[in-house]
Amino acid sequence: MFRQTLCGLLLVAASGAQAADTVKIALTGPFSGGSAPMGTSARDGSKLAIAEINAAGGIQVGSKKMKIEVIERDDEAKNERGALIAQELAAMSDLSGVIGTVNTGVCLAGDKHLQEKGITKIICPAAGSASMTQWSKAGVKDNSIFRFAAYDGIQAAMVVEEAINRKFTKVAVVFDSTNYGVSGRDDMLEQIKKQGNKLEVVAQEKFNIGDKDMTAQLLRAKSAGAQAILIWAIGPELAAVSNGEAKIGMKAPLIGGWTLSMSNYIDNAGKNGNGTLMPQTFIEEAITPKAKSFIDGYHKAYKVDRIPSAVAAAQGYDALYILAAAVKQAGSTDTKKIKEALEDLKEPVKGVIATWSHPYTKWDPADVTTHEAFRREQVVMGMVKDGRVVFGNDADRARLIKSATTVTPAKTSKTKKK
Amino acid sequence: MNAQIIGQMAVSGALMGLVYALIAYGFQLTFATSKSINFGQGELVMISAFFSLTLTNLGFPYWAMVPGGLLFGALMGLVVERAGVRLALEQKSEGWILLSIIIGLFFFSAAENIWGRDDRPFPTPISADPIHILGVDVTRLELSVAVGVFAIMGLIELFKRRTLLGKAFEAVSADRDAAELMGISSTRTVMLSYGLSGSVAALAGILVSPITTVGPTMASALILKAFSVAVVAGLDSGFGVVLVGMFLGALESLASFYLGSGWREAPGLILLILALALRPNGVFGKATIRKV
Repeated sequence: MFRQTLCGLLLVAASGAQAADTVKIALTGPFSGGSAPMGTSARDGSKLAIAEINAAGGIQVGSKKMKIEVIERDDEAKNERGALIAQELAAMSDLSGVIGTVNTGVCLAGDKHLQEKGITKIICPAAGSASMTQWSKAGVKDNSIFRFAAYDGIQAAMVVEEAINRKFTKVAVVFDSTNYGVSGRDDMLEQIKKQGNKLEVVAQEKFNIGDKDMTAQLLRAKSAGAQAILIWAIGPELAAVSNGEAKIGMKAPLIGGWTLSMSNYIDNAGKNGNGTLMPQTFIEEAITPKAKSFIDGYHKAYKVDRIPSAVAAAQGYDALYILAAAVKQAGSTDTKKIKEALEDLKEPVKGVIATWSHPYTKWDPADVTTHEAFRREQVVMGMVKDGRVVFGNDADRARLIKSATTVTPAKTSKTKKK
Repeated sequence: MNAQIIGQMAVSGALMGLVYALIAYGFQLTFATSKSINFGQGELVMISAFFSLTLTNLGFPYWAMVPGGLLFGALMGLVVERAGVRLALEQKSEGWILLSIIIGLFFFSAAENIWGRDDRPFPTPISADPIHILGVDVTRLELSVAVGVFAIMGLIELFKRRTLLGKAFEAVSADRDAAELMGISSTRTVMLSYGLSGSVAALAGILVSPITTVGPTMASALILKAFSVAVVAGLDSGFGVVLVGMFLGALESLASFYLGSGWREAPGLILLILALALRPNGVFGKATIRKV
């Protein structure tokens, strides 16, 4: 943390002379701790996009080209740190935008400071519903917070759909005791009802962050006859569930939130993770030239042969390009003008996940999807196989190739749910 | 609920309980010679596990990694003794309580800075596939815990009874002043006990890590249980900690099955309160008269 602050200070000091010629973008998120694979991947994805943009001379802002300057902050997945960072960022007069945050609680603690000052933020990749619904509940008229993530509603619908498609009838719903886990359980139960009660929930089991032994919960699920486990939790505990299943000889696959693709799940579960299914916005497979160059670029820049969280990295990359497009359209580094441009992006943005055409529209407190970029069709089922995430269904691969090469239709926000 | 599930929960709980017992045994070793215990024992478990993980990642085979880890644990135990305990004991103060906690915090910060805050898998050649014994699934990993715990405790007990050094250890435990008069250096014996205690902590780390993963906070839950076990069993009964450890482990997992996982710790804590109220010297402890 110290070093990062120091680096930040040095950066600011070094660029002080030409400060007016840069677009300042802050990247925040947990770069250490249990959510770190997502935080660092999102940050590094964004930085990859920044390197590309800066190498090409920067963003065209009005009459001159301006390079992007990065401000990095590690919120350590702690709400109180998130609030401090947001206050710090909100106090910067020349900040153009913020991209980041993995943990819903951190959004809840910090984003209000940004929203008050009207600083444009793209939440990426936090998925908890509350990070956006807080604004509709508060009824704010003008919202500077956008989200770029497959929100929990979409994910829960897909999880339930997948369980039905795989002909399961009895499932156990398992979740951790955090906000994220409990709201995930509620979403899944609601979806089961919505999709015609085809799944019978034979057990509901809870565990705490840091639990390593899931034998009790799993035995109850097993003795109730669960064929699959619908699960909402974070990396290390998910691995404990998979390992616990292996121990008691239980074969029910895990289907759950996208956190099942984090490296700290995949690595800690090892071969017990095979067959686990989760919604993904990006699969680390070079299915399009754009995806290939992104994956290769990431591997080369950060010297890895697997992205810790491919989904977060791809979203960080696309979010940055969308923000850059808004800066260009606004012709200004003023964060309020950038917000207006974001709500009405004229030109489609070619990203690695999809080509984003008009991803956001004018904020409507009655409809959070105005500030949500993702739709059901940009999300696919991923499956863990030998330490990697692959496509769960081949049809999805074909569909994604198509969606990446064609322009997604401009959205009609009124017909969407919520 | 049927007997098979009860058996399953009890057996896997009892096997985890052996790890509590092993850590509690580490408390006993130092308590016997110096009437002090290392409150940072959990951090010794953790830092030795991290060190062993590093050895494994450097390419050391399992059989070479284990002694390496134990040696490291012993060294760290000696560090605790030299840096914290000895100073306090020389001044006949209870300062070792605070000092050992502080040294533990230091180890914790060091581990966070060297290895990071993430939980990591601990590779092991022992398979995690279950074997079916009398209707109960047990993994080889869990069995390896039992084997490891009994092996090291057996070895240390043999050492105490059969070797000259071990007899000196026992002599200091029995009566420190008398042992000093017989020419046994109590300082050295206390050092020896801290070294052994460190090795025991390291072994606990190596045994439990493949099941629970390695991370800076890995031992915080373990250590509380180990304290309970040590207190309930009494600080001078090696046989007692094994029994109480297994009992507590089984009780915990049965509680989390029948009462819900949120109540997992409750029976253990009730047991602790009962033990303190009814048998303050431990269920297997000897009543001692403390001269003030």
